[in-house]
Amino acid sequence: MAGIELRNVSKRWGRFTGVDRFSLSIREQEFLVLLGPSGCGKTTTMRMIAGLEEATEGDIVIGGRRVNDLDPKDRDIAMVFQSYALYPNMTVYENIRFPLKIRKVPAAEHDARVRRAATMVELTEFLDRRPSELSGGQRQRVALARAIVRQPAVFLMDEPLSNLDAKLRVSTRAQIKNLSHELKVTTIYVTHDQIEAMTLADRVVVMKRGLIQQVGTPTEIYDRPANTFVASFIGNPAMNLMEGHVTGGVFAADKVRIPGLAAPDGPVTLGFRAEDAAVAPSGQIAAPVYTMELLGDATMVTVRAGGALVAVKAPKDFRIAIDERVEIAVPQAACHLFNTKTGERLEA
Amino acid sequence: MAATIRALRQPLWLRLTSASALSLWLLVAAFPIFWITMMSVKVPLDAFADGPLEVIFGPRTLAAGKGLTILDLLGYGLFLLAAGRAAMRWLPRAVPSLSLFGVRVLGWLIGLMAVVLGVWIGGVFVLPALLGALNGALGLDPLIGFTAEHYRSVWIGRDFWQNFLNSMQVTLGVTVISLTCGTLAGYALARSGSNIAFWLLILALIFRALPHSVLVTGYLPVFINSAEILRPILGDNAPTLYGQPLAVIAVLVAINQPFTIWMLRSFFLNIPADLDEAARVDGCTHFQAFRWVIMPVMWPGIITTGLFSFLLGYNDFLVTSLLLDQSNMTMVPAIASFFNRETTTTDQVQAVAAAVSITAPLFLLVMVFQRQIVSGLTQGAVKG
Repeated sequence: MAGIELRNVSKRWGRFTGVDRFSLSIREQEFLVLLGPSGCGKTTTMRMIAGLEEATEGDIVIGGRRVNDLDPKDRDIAMVFQSYALYPNMTVYENIRFPLKIRKVPAAEHDARVRRAATMVELTEFLDRRPSELSGGQRQRVALARAIVRQPAVFLMDEPLSNLDAKLRVSTRAQIKNLSHELKVTTIYVTHDQIEAMTLADRVVVMKRGLIQQVGTPTEIYDRPANTFVASFIGNPAMNLMEGHVTGGVFAADKVRIPGLAAPDGPVTLGFRAEDAAVAPSGQIAAPVYTMELLGDATMVTVRAGGALVAVKAPKDFRIAIDERVEIAVPQAACHLFNTKTGERLEA
Repeated sequence: MAATIRALRQPLWLRLTSASALSLWLLVAAFPIFWITMMSVKVPLDAFADGPLEVIFGPRTLAAGKGLTILDLLGYGLFLLAAGRAAMRWLPRAVPSLSLFGVRVLGWLIGLMAVVLGVWIGGVFVLPALLGALNGALGLDPLIGFTAEHYRSVWIGRDFWQNFLNSMQVTLGVTVISLTCGTLAGYALARSGSNIAFWLLILALIFRALPHSVLVTGYLPVFINSAEILRPILGDNAPTLYGQPLAVIAVLVAINQPFTIWMLRSFFLNIPADLDEAARVDGCTHFQAFRWVIMPVMWPGIITTGLFSFLLGYNDFLVTSLLLDQSNMTMVPAIASFFNRETTTTDQVQAVAAAVSITAPLFLLVMVFQRQIVSGLTQGAVKG
């Protein structure tokens, strides 16, 4: 168990920068999620912590020890790969046991530890099978068991759920959350799925093009996105963003007029979440319906306003025809204001 | 897999055409081997007879009192079938239990030796004695001409066993060195993304493209003068490499190595790099990951490449005939020495018998390893 300290860690290939001056300190036992679209440098960051990729500059410190020049095996980490990376010639039992065997853990302990790890991920019936005889979800659990069998200082998980089907993903997600709670090991988890990030993380790091966009708890990231990128990346549907002008505290754009905002005059990007607004008899947005989608627990009404598509959550029995006019009420408190040019949040 | 997938099912005419094309090809390819096998077990008069049926049934061989009864045919046929089954089924399955100290190569070698020894003792000593006694007791007359006299005079009279041992020495040397260098180089080149790796591979390809005779003539003066060249290093007992198996091994490895490296590299490329990385995170050094994780998955590749190396060394004529002297001759160039100005038909049939002797081990080898050659052990390594 150990905290991790990253100081100005960068990765460059020639002129291309994969990760740019990444600095972060990760507490002991924290579950940290690196979140971002593909190519944002999240996996590279994790591979640098694992030692599979060399950091071009900066310091990586695990448990107070600088590990930049150490081999992966000496960093006291365990990793779960997206492709599972099970050893195909070994049985499940041998796969889970491999880290113990190669690290010369006394042979007398092997059996008990392998069985304990297998029990934790509910694999005890499959110990004699080979990976090729297992389903995707079972293979993923073997990979998990192989990681937890040694009780390392840090867990690294590289998109462990992305090869599973949707239903299995939900149950395995719950299992990972439960495991991390039980084992109390510092965990770094890479994903491009914002729901995984929201459900699992103690803290989320949102990345884009090698740069940290925002670090915070899931609530902070959701409720106070630091810029338009985070705002549009987190949440389903993404936050509605409209470009317009503020004059005297009134935001105005095509078919939109929201008064009472504490913002200086000038161009501004205004955002609000679909569930924070509502369809009302009279509101700040008035526009014809672009589309209506039934979600089961709610109805999503989308209009074209302020030069963008704006979605609003309505009650589940709400029905309206396309092209019909609708008014949307947006409370001032639910509005997020961003600098149109830089995308940065305007602090109120 | 009882039924073929519907989309892959072929219409009747296509199946008939491919079946007939295959049988034609089999006939063309297998006929020479069948024919020399037939010739090699007949007296020269039959072997060079005008009528093809005489070559097959051998009336003059029969007249000389050498032939097989119906019981013999049955017995030897069943024996060959059993030997084939042992080589194809039993051996690959027995390998894990035969692997001494956990070394699979040893397992294969021991298993292979057991099969060869079994076939030899059974086919040369036990079965003839048994069938001879049975034939005598039942009073059966020979049906078809058959004589092993040419094999006897080739292997014992002409010391062909010595050539066989020389062949084995050269072939095993070539295979072991090629595979050792090839796996290490192939793995490194497969996992390295650097430009140097790319140019090394291109360079290897260029060397592979050189005509073999060019390589041999390049080496020849060095081998002839090796005693003088090596004297400053090795002192007075520096060897003359010309005529030694070592020289042939060196040249054949030089010819073979580019191919082995390329082939093994492509096998390594098929093994996901995630496996190496998982192993290294789990606690392996680079070499341990290679040895304990990658190599066990590589067996089909090693065996396939090893077989190609084996064939190159085993079948080589040019290099061995140019570089070896009479006492170290391998089997293939040794056949050439069966022919001279005063060649008799007996010499020729003996040459044919020697040719059949050279072919037989290859059959055994391919039969034993056929499963490994086509198997896909990496299935299930990653998602699937």
